[in-house]
Amino acid sequence: MDQYTILGRIGEGAHGIVFKARHIETGKTVALKKIQLKKIEDGIPNTALREIKALQQIEDHENVISLRELFPHGMGFVLAFDFMPSDLTTLIRDTQHPLMESQAKSYMIMILKGVGYMHNHGIMHRDLKPANLLVSYTGLLKIADFGLARVFSNDSDRNYSHQVATRWYRAPELLYGARKYDEGVDLWAIGCIFGELLNISPLFPGDNDIEQLCCVLRVFGTPNEDVWPGVTELPDYNKISFQEQVPIPLQEVVPNATPAAVLLLQSFLRYPSKQRISAEQALMHFYFFTEPLPAHRSELPRVRHDRNLPNLLDHNSDFGIDRPLADTLVKPTSLPIK
Amino acid sequence: MFATSTQVKHWIFSSPDELHKCRELANSKFSESHGGAQSHFLQVNEERMLCRHFENVMKEFCVKFQPPMPRNTIATSFAYFKRFFLHNSVMNYHPKHIMLTAVYLACKTEEFNISVAQYVANLPGKREKAADLVLSNELLLMGKLNYQLTVHHPWRPLEGFLIDMKTRLDISDKTVEGFRKGAEDFLDGSLLSEVSLLFPPSHIALAAVVYSAQKQGIQLTSYISDILLASADDAQKGKVLGAVKEVIAVVGNVDRLQRDKVKQIEKKLEICRNQNNNPESSAFKKRKDRELKDDDRRREQKYARQAAQEKREQAQVCGIVDVSK
Repeated sequence: MDQYTILGRIGEGAHGIVFKARHIETGKTVALKKIQLKKIEDGIPNTALREIKALQQIEDHENVISLRELFPHGMGFVLAFDFMPSDLTTLIRDTQHPLMESQAKSYMIMILKGVGYMHNHGIMHRDLKPANLLVSYTGLLKIADFGLARVFSNDSDRNYSHQVATRWYRAPELLYGARKYDEGVDLWAIGCIFGELLNISPLFPGDNDIEQLCCVLRVFGTPNEDVWPGVTELPDYNKISFQEQVPIPLQEVVPNATPAAVLLLQSFLRYPSKQRISAEQALMHFYFFTEPLPAHRSELPRVRHDRNLPNLLDHNSDFGIDRPLADTLVKPTSLPIK
Repeated sequence: MFATSTQVKHWIFSSPDELHKCRELANSKFSESHGGAQSHFLQVNEERMLCRHFENVMKEFCVKFQPPMPRNTIATSFAYFKRFFLHNSVMNYHPKHIMLTAVYLACKTEEFNISVAQYVANLPGKREKAADLVLSNELLLMGKLNYQLTVHHPWRPLEGFLIDMKTRLDISDKTVEGFRKGAEDFLDGSLLSEVSLLFPPSHIALAAVVYSAQKQGIQLTSYISDILLASADDAQKGKVLGAVKEVIAVVGNVDRLQRDKVKQIEKKLEICRNQNNNPESSAFKKRKDRELKDDDRRREQKYARQAAQEKREQAQVCGIVDVSK
């Protein structure tokens, strides 16, 4: 902990506080997640262990937040991540600079790359939402908050908790209380995020679990065994019944989207989890190869440096082409003398 | 993925000698920090014997555990325990405590979700004390494992080999299934050996099948060299076949522990162990008290600072000037 100066508070999680801090030696800004163990009944929280395991398993991917270090502190420990100044929620809500379609495409590609990599490594995130998709100073999107991530096993008897994922992004099988599910829950969430990028407002903003299901059903119709084999077997299927509804064309839900976008959106938002398009397949979808093409990194919204923070040795991450060349070079005099 | 895992990078060693060196270092580090080697300290081989004794205890504990504990959880417990005592002396941390903590931590990391109350219900004696002990050592254990919590085990590759043999080897599915029991028993037994610190899980799994088939009079050498490693060169084939032989030898050579000797060492340990880490000792209680007090003091200072800050801000907002300053 001596190696960091605390700069401020970022937020508070279930088991600790997240601080913004500077690594004294390198000048890098980091986010420190403090996990306090005092007064926790069962010791080290599972969420922290899952996050550590998942991140160690993923190790290194451009679009996944990297765990820089882990160290003990007081009666707990601290996880140090690269600091991310923004997230997708903020960018979507920024009405001054609405996202262009090319930019939305670019974010989608980064999400899909990160999630595809995770799924290939046997990890499901279970809590994908815009607030967990962080954006770096240079516009790079990184998936964060693996507190609910689980390493999935192929062993099919494994039961999982259905109380996962933030409600708006929760897949219908979870809303029906399914205990056996797969990485499809992440793909549904991606669909919801995609819809939010297209509409600039959440696709299914339910106020409670019942209403959430209602939102989904209003668009896709009441499910039955024909469209969703196995739905009647789900734990909560018989607990709630809805008025018979017929699906409406998805185009009406995202009125401004291009036909290609609607097609891709449709392939994420399918009732049977196995029918959802995988992250890897989605990357090959023609949506990404039609005009407007995905924006280049240099065309993504830039997040201003915090004015209070000196821009110390951040040169390696700041390589946008719109910066004067001279600014991006390391001045020999500013290097520490060995 | 195993190939890029922390297990490959940090927890697989080239030879039993290397393991011995690690333990020697841990032993001498303890002696040095406690006034040089003394005759009542434990020797490396004595430490090792005690660890092996507790591995036996751990196995029994895991097998009897209610609800029944999955294999991966048991194997991960063993990995944590073995890794811990590669770099730490028994005299510093009592293996009984580490054993209980290792199993508890493994339950969590392997998603065998049980509460601490459920956990200690499996223990005889004072449960509250046991819960305290486990919880107070958890962080220590995790730190000493360098937070490297993912452990790969041979059961998955074993399934793979069985499937592969059913598809590509010219023997009946029934014969292949016949290897299963023997192979699984071999893997269960391997927990008490050091193979998991010396070989990747796939080699251990392969050795298990080879061993089980051998017992039924079936040789799998040609399966390995002609089918499994058909595209590899002779040197690679030789390496794998050698590894398989070695795994079988290491697992087969686990000797019985002499009970009376273990008892002697346990007695010896009571005298030389680091009292700072003994929850029964007064030194330990003092240390814990101090830590708690330090933590409380830090917290109080922090609240005081925050309160002062808030007061200043409020004063600013209201435009009140504090004359006392």
